[in-house]
Amino acid sequence: MTEAVAAVEIEGVTKRFGEVVAVDNVDLAIGDGEFFALLGPSGCGKTTTLRMIAGLDLPTEGSLRIFGEEVGMAPPDRRPVNTVFQAYALFPHMTVRQNIEFGLRMRRVKNPELSQRVAEATGMVRLAGMEERRPDQLSGGQQQRVALARALVNQPKVLLLDEPLGALDLKLRQEMQQELKALQREVGITFVFVTHDQEEALAMSERIGVMSEGRLLQVGTPREIYDRPASRFVADFIGRTNILEASVESASTVRLDNGALIEAETSTPAGSRVAVSLRPERVRLQPHGTTAAEGSSLDGEVRDITYLGHAVVYEVAAGPVSIEVRVEGEVGEPFAAGDEVTVAWDRGAAAVVAD
Amino acid sequence: MGPARRSSPTTGAAGEEAAALARRRQGMLLASPGALYLLIFFVVPLGLITVYSFATRTSTGRTSLSGWNVESYRAIGDDIIVGIIGRSAWLATLTTVLCVVVGYPFAYYIATRPRHVRAVLLVMVMIPFWTNALVRVFAIRFLLGSNGPASALSESLGFGTFRILFTPTAVTIGMVYSFLTFMVLPLYVALERMDWSLTEAARDLYASGAKAFWKVTLPLTRSGIVAGCVLVFVPSFGSYVVPDILGGAKTLLIGSYIARQFRDARNWPLGASLSVLLIVAMLVAVALNQRSGSGAEDRDRPRPRKWGRAPDEAEAAAVAS
Repeated sequence: MTEAVAAVEIEGVTKRFGEVVAVDNVDLAIGDGEFFALLGPSGCGKTTTLRMIAGLDLPTEGSLRIFGEEVGMAPPDRRPVNTVFQAYALFPHMTVRQNIEFGLRMRRVKNPELSQRVAEATGMVRLAGMEERRPDQLSGGQQQRVALARALVNQPKVLLLDEPLGALDLKLRQEMQQELKALQREVGITFVFVTHDQEEALAMSERIGVMSEGRLLQVGTPREIYDRPASRFVADFIGRTNILEASVESASTVRLDNGALIEAETSTPAGSRVAVSLRPERVRLQPHGTTAAEGSSLDGEVRDITYLGHAVVYEVAAGPVSIEVRVEGEVGEPFAAGDEVTVAWDRGAAAVVAD
Repeated sequence: MGPARRSSPTTGAAGEEAAALARRRQGMLLASPGALYLLIFFVVPLGLITVYSFATRTSTGRTSLSGWNVESYRAIGDDIIVGIIGRSAWLATLTTVLCVVVGYPFAYYIATRPRHVRAVLLVMVMIPFWTNALVRVFAIRFLLGSNGPASALSESLGFGTFRILFTPTAVTIGMVYSFLTFMVLPLYVALERMDWSLTEAARDLYASGAKAFWKVTLPLTRSGIVAGCVLVFVPSFGSYVVPDILGGAKTLLIGSYIARQFRDARNWPLGASLSVLLIVAMLVAVALNQRSGSGAEDRDRPRPRKWGRAPDEAEAAAVAS
């Protein structure tokens, strides 16, 4: 990716709506053919960022290039990108075919090619036979497919998807996740999609950009984001985690505020205040007093047990801090509320995050 | 819910029937004042008009109810009357078109403002509507008069004075002004409901701003345009006050002509049959509009939601004018 031109390159982009800073000095490069997710809570600026790539909003400051070409101020119809809108935005007064044809007709693509490309796109999203229906005669999943076909038929260089699965129910959403991934591999186009659903982002994308309050906090693979969150916000937003207050003791140890010394790699100088993120499913419960061969542990008392079917969640009080421990694949509950236990984890399970 | 009721079919069915009856009775009770009013002040006069249209005018200008005939309907074929109807239709069409041209951008502007600004602008649209129509038309008469401000402005700009008062131009200006509200409001309603992500989608799919408007916004607000056109055309066609005050002898329109038959010419049968003709023509126009609204080409949106209301309002307007 160092040599190749980035599909989307955002440099120092800021978007202000009056007083409100929606996007705050964002730098981001998305590679050619990448499946990239912009993830964050509502109002974090992810949709505005996507709209600026589409040209539906114009940046207040900064530069935006698509395959090397500056498009920051270009109107949406002059950009080689297409969008799948959040509620699909299908034209209600047109048939499925007319919807899919729209972009090609606007670019004056003539008939042998026009109908061939429409047929191709319709087949790709498995909508053959539905061409003459109107959007209101389709199910949510089918509308979603029309929206995809309507965008992809134009062979954009970048496909933008704004919460594409948000309106679907859970089962359909999981199916569409797989389908979107397969579709992206098939067409090889760069996909940039916006979501507030961290599981969706982890499951679908090659890289994730986490945003909050207009800032891009961290960009990385799902594994990097999940295992090595760069900040307390990212650690907390992606998945569940235990955040323990601590201060750095050395490059490989930190001291928790309850006095316990634990192993954790960090580049933060000794003495700094940090937080330690400990994923509930990366820690285990042991009988009180048994120590692990490697890694760290804390002693505590089981406070509460929540049975989730596929997992059991223990809330363990270790001094003033409370730690959530998630145990999966175990038959029965070896510990009861009030039991003295030891919470243990392997080296590397604890991630030090900056404040 | 179903199975539970079915467990005791007799009592359940009887109970439901009783409830339905009670609902129907309540409905009738609620509707009766309005129905009574319409019966006395609309159906009865309309019946009288219809009866009179088949009556005979005596040589003394009285109306004889003996001897029914269609003489007065035959008289409508007279060249003068056909000319008046044609002129009325032409001016009403012109008024309607001008109202769309002026009203659409205006409604578009209002509908795209922030919510609190919209409320203010809508009130401003309504203010002239709440002012006495006669007063407003006389104000226009003053404005357009050869000694009025418009003429003075033209003179000071070097175009000389103008005389448009008592011409069809003045009548058209007056009618556009009088009926613009009827156009703006339904257009505003249609535009306010517009899902703007659709125009964004069109822009995203390589449509220019103008193309997006033409292909998406306009077809999706078509129901508002149709409703506005009916609401403007119907009262303009039968308009009486505006042409009477702003028009001269050359702009005699059907509304004034009918009034003349009742007041001055004392030819009630002719006035009545022209009125009947006008009402029938309006109803046909409204019916055609409604049919085209649900026609094949522009089945916009899930059907029942939109301007199901329009024809009733148009009828009300037809009655009012």
